[in-house]
Amino acid sequence: MSARPSANPLDRLGRLLLYAILGSLAILTLLPFIWMACAAVKTEAAFFTSQFLPRGDGWLGIAWEDLTLRQFRRLFTEFPIGRALLHSVFFASVCSLGATLFCAAGGYALAKFRFRGRGLITTAILGTVVLPSSLLLGPGFEMLYHLGLVDTYAGVILPAITPAFGLYLFRQAMLNSVPSDILESARIDGAGELRIFFQIVLPIVRPMISAYLIIAFIGTWNNFITPQIILQSPERHPLAVAIFNLRGLYGSEYSLIMAGTLVAIAPVMVLFLLLQKEFISGLTSGAVKG
Amino acid sequence: MLRFQSFGLVLVTVLAAVSTTLVLLQPVEPQDGLQYWTFDRSHAQVASAAAANWNPRHPDLPVRVTTLTGPTLLTRMLSGFYSDTPVGDMIEVERGQIGQVFAGPVQDIGFVDLTDRIDRDGLRAAINAPSLSPWSLHGRNYGLPHDVHPTMLLYRSDLVEAAGIDVRQIETWDDYFRVMRPLFRDHDGDGRPDTYLLNTSPTNMGAHEVMLLQAGGGMFDAAGQPVLNSEINVRTVARMVVWMAGPNRMTADAPVSGPSAIKLAGEGYMLAFLAPDWFAGAIKKELPNLAGKLKFMPLPAWERGGRRTSVLGGTMVGITKACRQPDEAWAFIKHLYFAPETARRLYATFCIVSPIKSNWSLACYDEPDPYFSGQPVGRLFLNLAGDVPERIPSPFYASATTVLSAAIVGSCRHVDRHGITDPAAVEPEVRRRLDAAQAELLGIMQRNVFVAGRAP
Repeated sequence: MSARPSANPLDRLGRLLLYAILGSLAILTLLPFIWMACAAVKTEAAFFTSQFLPRGDGWLGIAWEDLTLRQFRRLFTEFPIGRALLHSVFFASVCSLGATLFCAAGGYALAKFRFRGRGLITTAILGTVVLPSSLLLGPGFEMLYHLGLVDTYAGVILPAITPAFGLYLFRQAMLNSVPSDILESARIDGAGELRIFFQIVLPIVRPMISAYLIIAFIGTWNNFITPQIILQSPERHPLAVAIFNLRGLYGSEYSLIMAGTLVAIAPVMVLFLLLQKEFISGLTSGAVKG
Repeated sequence: MLRFQSFGLVLVTVLAAVSTTLVLLQPVEPQDGLQYWTFDRSHAQVASAAAANWNPRHPDLPVRVTTLTGPTLLTRMLSGFYSDTPVGDMIEVERGQIGQVFAGPVQDIGFVDLTDRIDRDGLRAAINAPSLSPWSLHGRNYGLPHDVHPTMLLYRSDLVEAAGIDVRQIETWDDYFRVMRPLFRDHDGDGRPDTYLLNTSPTNMGAHEVMLLQAGGGMFDAAGQPVLNSEINVRTVARMVVWMAGPNRMTADAPVSGPSAIKLAGEGYMLAFLAPDWFAGAIKKELPNLAGKLKFMPLPAWERGGRRTSVLGGTMVGITKACRQPDEAWAFIKHLYFAPETARRLYATFCIVSPIKSNWSLACYDEPDPYFSGQPVGRLFLNLAGDVPERIPSPFYASATTVLSAAIVGSCRHVDRHGITDPAAVEPEVRRRLDAAQAELLGIMQRNVFVAGRAP
């Protein structure tokens, strides 16, 4: 049901004021992105001499001759950004799918099955949520090293597919949304546990699946530390690491770095725009009880 | 049909399937041969060019060049040294990181001692002597120097010449600030200066070290003991702080390692920089529109007849103890660092001059550079290379930097509070703070059982 526009002039004024404030905040939030986009298309000479677009005698007072797509071309010809982009998509999609599946399964088990040590496991998982991830880097690296997984794709993917946060999130979702009576009925009707999980439980928590998928995708996409530490060969690096490598010791090509950052942001931005409805419905599901 | 599917799930599943297939189809890079690790793209380009020349002649042991970011390289290198995780055979190390390499017992330093190899091959005389110092501990050399990084004063010649100032009358820092004083002014009348005379500030430790080394001071003596409160440091810091704080403040913050220096040079906000050779390359690349507006001159001395240069930054290459073919690795790093082609490339890319004396006769160093108003920049730097101060490496370099910086910041605050303009008036406060910094550093050092000589 759509809201009817209010006829009260005070309400209208209030709404106008609200939009003005929100609009200003939106512009403020967008400013760094606009700056970055401008920086990515400027020549090196114009980068340090103009704040946004270079001023000149051209249309709209812009020096159009100082704008170029050269840095984007260089990214894909001189640097292995295409390969890094592929790795970012690979890590983000595989890790987010795996994390969603395993967290949903783990969360379901913790929420709906009674077994010895359940409370202890739940407490342990909750405990690891509050541990800073940087604290786990050292022991994690050592474990991966002894397993022979340093500098392998599995070394990045395996630790990422059962995050404590996801497990706990799905446990709470299962507790709140999945009625135990339905599960009992299914068992009485002869359904196996896998069938119950895939055909009854997952459809009920579908909004949470979509939301968590996006959270995990973006989290993996932006992850810099883990691939930086685990992957030693540059040919396996994802975008976050490859762009960091564009920095130079004696000087950095800032336009190039901004172009790279834009390339790194664009795919997740498009993904988020495509999936924002599912994301919001996932986060708000269960927020209002009817 | 699965009832929990959504558009998002389908999309991510398709992405996973396609990307996994493409990743699996990628060719696998060979990992054999000698691994050469570096932390900078331009270094990697030079090393790769040398490897391309080397590998056809050594097909059984080709050199593979890998670029890792500075912090990653440090972490992996130290992990390799201390816990035998995989590590490169040859590694380039930056000056700021070498202290950590020397942090444990001498016998556990992860690099091969190259002293005997250097002497056996007669290389010691071939290398600019001060350039070996940062990579040596207790008289033993653990790396070959990549560079010299002499430091000069890079100034906005257009502004200086327009003001009718002749820089030839400048010999000391006191001359510099006196002669340039007319350019330290408020152009727009807003009550704040629009041009500062030098890029140093209370927190710019890079600049402080450059100036202390030039004056003959520094953080450690030849035995590796801290000398933060030495007389020369006290006198030098006292002179520096009245430029950086108080009513006579004439300097501002713009470390040459970041973009602010480039930006402020372009805007004319900073009249001059403490500039090593690599900064010449960086500014040339980033600010092409300043061509013809910049010139170099030797650093003004602290006293008449004193040293006219200093040093900032540096890199070495060493052979790790994990390397199974150290003789071949030694042959490669000599091939790389001593080759005239390497020197030419380094100069062409970032104006970096070679530490290898036989390369100093290369014609490229004498070519007038139109960007720097026709000055033969390479030759200007090389003329000062032999006079670059020696630097003593220490595992406590980072700690020393921190406590020294705190002392300088505190002294600047004192100058601000009391409106001091005379260095002699601030000397007692500087001495008190440097004494405290020295005591703090000694306390930190005593906690290291290996370095304090209490190792079990």
